[in-house]
This record gives sequence, C-alpha cells and structure tokens, in this order.
Amino acid sequence: MEMEEIDFKVAPESKIKKKPSYIKPWLGLKYLFKKPVTIKIPYEKTQIAEKYRGFHSLDWKKCIGCNFCGQICPARAIEMTWIEVDGKVEKRPHPKIDYGRCTFCQFCVDVCPTGALGFVSNYMLTTEWKDEELELFDWVPIHPDKIKEINEKFPDYRFPVAKIEFNKETKEVTYYLRDGDVFKFKILGYGLRPPAAAKPKPAKIEKKEESPS
Amino acid sequence: MVSQSELIKEARENGMELLPLDKDTYELFFGPQHMATENFSIILKMDGHRVVKAIANPGFLHRGFEKLAELRPWYTNIALLLRICVPEPDVPEAIYSMAVDELMGWEVPERAHWIRTTVLEMARVSAYLFWIMGLSFKLGVYTAGQWAAAYRERLMALFEELTGARVYHIYTIPGGVRRDIPGDKWLRQLKDTVEYIKSKLPDFDHLVFENYITFKRMEGIGVMDKKFALAEGVTGPNLRATGVPYDVRRMDPYLLYPELDFEVPVLKEGDALARALIRRYELEQDLYILEQLLEMGPPSGPYKVQDPRLKNLPRFKVPAGDAFAHVESTKGDFGAYVVSDGGNKPYRVQIRGPSIAHGIRVLEQLLVGARIADVPVILMSLDNCPPDIDR
Repeated sequence: MEMEEIDFKVAPESKIKKKPSYIKPWLGLKYLFKKPVTIKIPYEKTQIAEKYRGFHSLDWKKCIGCNFCGQICPARAIEMTWIEVDGKVEKRPHPKIDYGRCTFCQFCVDVCPTGALGFVSNYMLTTEWKDEELELFDWVPIHPDKIKEINEKFPDYRFPVAKIEFNKETKEVTYYLRDGDVFKFKILGYGLRPPAAAKPKPAKIEKKEESPS
Repeated sequence: MVSQSELIKEARENGMELLPLDKDTYELFFGPQHMATENFSIILKMDGHRVVKAIANPGFLHRGFEKLAELRPWYTNIALLLRICVPEPDVPEAIYSMAVDELMGWEVPERAHWIRTTVLEMARVSAYLFWIMGLSFKLGVYTAGQWAAAYRERLMALFEELTGARVYHIYTIPGGVRRDIPGDKWLRQLKDTVEYIKSKLPDFDHLVFENYITFKRMEGIGVMDKKFALAEGVTGPNLRATGVPYDVRRMDPYLLYPELDFEVPVLKEGDALARALIRRYELEQDLYILEQLLEMGPPSGPYKVQDPRLKNLPRFKVPAGDAFAHVESTKGDFGAYVVSDGGNKPYRVQIRGPSIAHGIRVLEQLLVGARIADVPVILMSLDNCPPDIDR
C-alpha cells in the first residue's frame, strides 16, 4: 500500500535504536544506597488532595429534594428518603447514598442546584468486618461542618460515623458519630412522593379550621 | 472401556463436537490468573515448549459498556466509558466528549483545549510508565518496574490534585473540563515532575532498553510485516514498528496538536523489540510535548462552555445527528462514534478500540511458533487493554 506524502517529522532510526550492553544494566546498583520512595503505612501518612472526591456531606436545610442527584447518578446509588427528626417531618426528601454502588464520580454534587450536597476528602471504605460495620456505608449524609469537626479530631480519612443502628420495626436510625455525639431520626418512606406517614400536615389543617371562624 | 470413536459418535448424537485426541500436543490455559495476561486468557495448544495454536479467550471483564451507555444520561456516560481503558482513562473520556461537542456544535474554549491536551499527554506518559512496569516484570528486570511505578505515582498525585481522583479521573466532560487548574503551584509541580521523569529516562535505558537480556528476549519474536498489520487494522505504536508513519495526532490533528512540535518514530523491523523501542521514544516525545505546553501556559478564559442548557443536566438533550472523534492513545487509534436521536440519552455509542485488533487476531497469529516463555513478552509488546476487548 502506498502512503500519502508525509508532511510531518519522522524520527530517524538512529535516534530510536539502542545498542545492547553487558555493563550498563549494573548501573542500577547506584540506587542501592539511596532513600526508598516507599512510605511506611500506617506509621507515615500520605497527603490527600484538598478536593479529593470522597464521601458526601449534606446540608439538610439547603436540600430541596429535587432528585437531580438521583437522576444523574450513573450507578443508581441515590434513593430519596423521607425523614422525621425529633417528631418533625422534613418538608422535602433527602438523598440516601449507598456506597456499595457509588462510583465517587460526584456528578450529584455538580448538579445540586442549591449546593446542599457536597463532598469531603474522607475516603476510607474499609471495615474490620464486624457485623455492625457492614451497615455503615448506606447513609443520609450529615452537615459538612460536623464532618470537618470530626476530621480535626481524627485525621485518618475514615468514615465520620462509627456505628449506624437501624431499628426495623420503628424505622428509627441512630448515628453514633466518631466524636461521641448521637444523632437520631426516623425514616418514613422512600421515593419522591410523600408517604402516608408524612402526608397529614397539622399546620395546614389548623389554618383551614381557623379561616372560617 | 469406551473407544474414542464411540465417544465422538455419542457426543455428536447429543449435539456436541468432540475433537479426536492428539497425543503429540497438549492444551495449556494461560491466564486469567497469570500476572502477565491482566484478566485475559489464552488457550495454547502446545507441542513441547512451542505454541502450535493459540486461541484468545476474552470475556472476563465484559460489562457491556456500549449497551449501558444507551441507558444513561449524556453526562453520566463519562463515569462509565472511561473504564474501557484503565491505564489511560482520559482517552475514552476525551473521544466521547469531543464527539458530543461536535453534535452540540459547541466551540470549546481555548483554556479547555489546553487542559485537555495536557491531561491526555499526562495520561500517555503515565500509561507508558505503566507499560514499562509490565514489560520489565515480564522480562525479569523487576527493579526498573518498581521505579516506573514509583514515578507514575508522581503523576497520579498531580491527577489527584487536578481531578479529585487517582485512577478514574472523570474529568473531561462535553463542553470542556470539570474543574479549573488548581493554580500556579500545580503547574510548577507538573514542570518538576516532567523534568524528574526526563532525568530518570537514562536509568530505564540502562536497565531495560539497552540491556542485552532485552535484546535476547525480544529481538526477532512476534514479527509482523506491513501488509499483515494494515490488513488486520493494527494502529498506534504497533503499526509504526512495521514502518508505517501513521499517527492520529498528525494525520487528523485535534486539540492543540497542530501547534506542537514532536517527532513520530518509525521502525521497519516489526518485532517485539521494535515495538518496545518505539514506545520508549514516544515517552520521550510526550515529555517534550508537555514541556512545550507548559512553556505555552494555559490561556485565560473559561474552562467550559457557557450554555444555559447545562443548568439542567439530567434533562440535557443533544440534537439528533451523529459524530465521530478519535485520538491517538498509547495503545493505538481510539475512536468513538456517537449517534443521537434528540433524546436525553445517546441512541448508540460505538467505541473503536485498538485492543480488539491487537489482542485477538494479531495475537493469535503472532503466538504461533513462539516459545512459552515468549508468550508474555509478545502479549506485553502488543500492549492491549483487556476491558477494551470485552466491551
């Protein structure tokens, strides 16, 4: 086959070709007395980039439950969850993220219209394989300031929650944070539409009663 | 005792084919656990220590990328398609993004062009270092392999700073890139890294490319000629090693490559050694390109297109049409053909990967007559990406 005329630089063969040598391979020995490039984990620490795409954080007050994050998620790891905190139903559903599926692409953070969903540089997904730890990585993220607070105490890039308890009967979830704080809420249901438990809104009913009188 | 002919007859009655036993040869399963094959397997029919017939046995990484891409929104596909080539994930990202840019009719800002070119070249350097690691492990020169891994680590740290991830960057998106350059500090670090790796190239030469063991192991094995290579659709360094000066960066220039100065290495031998030396020279040229890019400096301006349609990404729609974009990766000519029917998901994403040509037909024919110890060397000299074969 004839090639078209070449109008770009082609390297001459003399530059590419090498000559075999019996002595040169021994020059590698000069590194024998130099410091190793490897580091001793866990005695030494690696520096993680500031904007490393790790676990999520969620500002519950900012989240408007638009489900953009759930729609863009390539792994379908996000489920919108209706939540009750201290007897008060949150007005909008919040994303619940399953790290068994998450690919850490963070497109959900990019599309979040209010900037509620964010990420922190914590990335350690390992556990000690205790039964209670296996339920850890499926959570509704907590406030970024709280995670930062925990990170200052434990700078080892681990998950900010030490234990998550889920009561199957009452649907109550308890987060035992690493700094000793306990955070409780109740899951009312999943999906975009409010579940039956979240539907009756006492505030509105009261208003209706008041207006005719 | 049932005779062989009876067994064959019985198998045929049940709709199966049983081949007659050949007492001179034996079958050897090479991979997928074998370190050299990287989730890829070859069934070798051996006569003593010579290969009589080789059958590639891929499929261990099959994830159905192309079909999955039809089920996901346009932007989300970036997080999926980059898994096609793990050592240089920026290439599938770039081709898909370039094709979607063409469909949208976007003019990508200059700063994004500069960042994309830099990221592609960084990916090339890191992929070549990864390849040196693989090759030297297969040749038994473990020291150089460890060095290559250590130097690649520096590039991974830079990628981490820029993109937020070490291996799966998910950085190049349609319309530009996801994040801006972190600052001048990052550019200085990149410059230092390029200089550092450049200063270490002679060490690789001493241990691997000028080593007499390399010449003894690689010279004259896995030879393919020009005609065969062109007929089988071989691209990239493998084609250049047979004497065809084909480089997508020069033949069909994209991004900033028309403005950059570099040499395309071509050798005529077509054996494993020629392929290795071509790659070695390209690593040097890639570092030279990175130096030029750093000298040029990133142009000011936005790093992605400003389009109101980007505010609603889940319902982002691409006008109907089709587009093809391809880039030169370290494996060869990587291309993406994207068809849109105007919806919020692609109608079809077809990836033209180089490894399917290198890893199946070419490998099967090059292995015939090779010694068993040369099988990993030939496999590594072709430098294929198993997930690309299984697409």
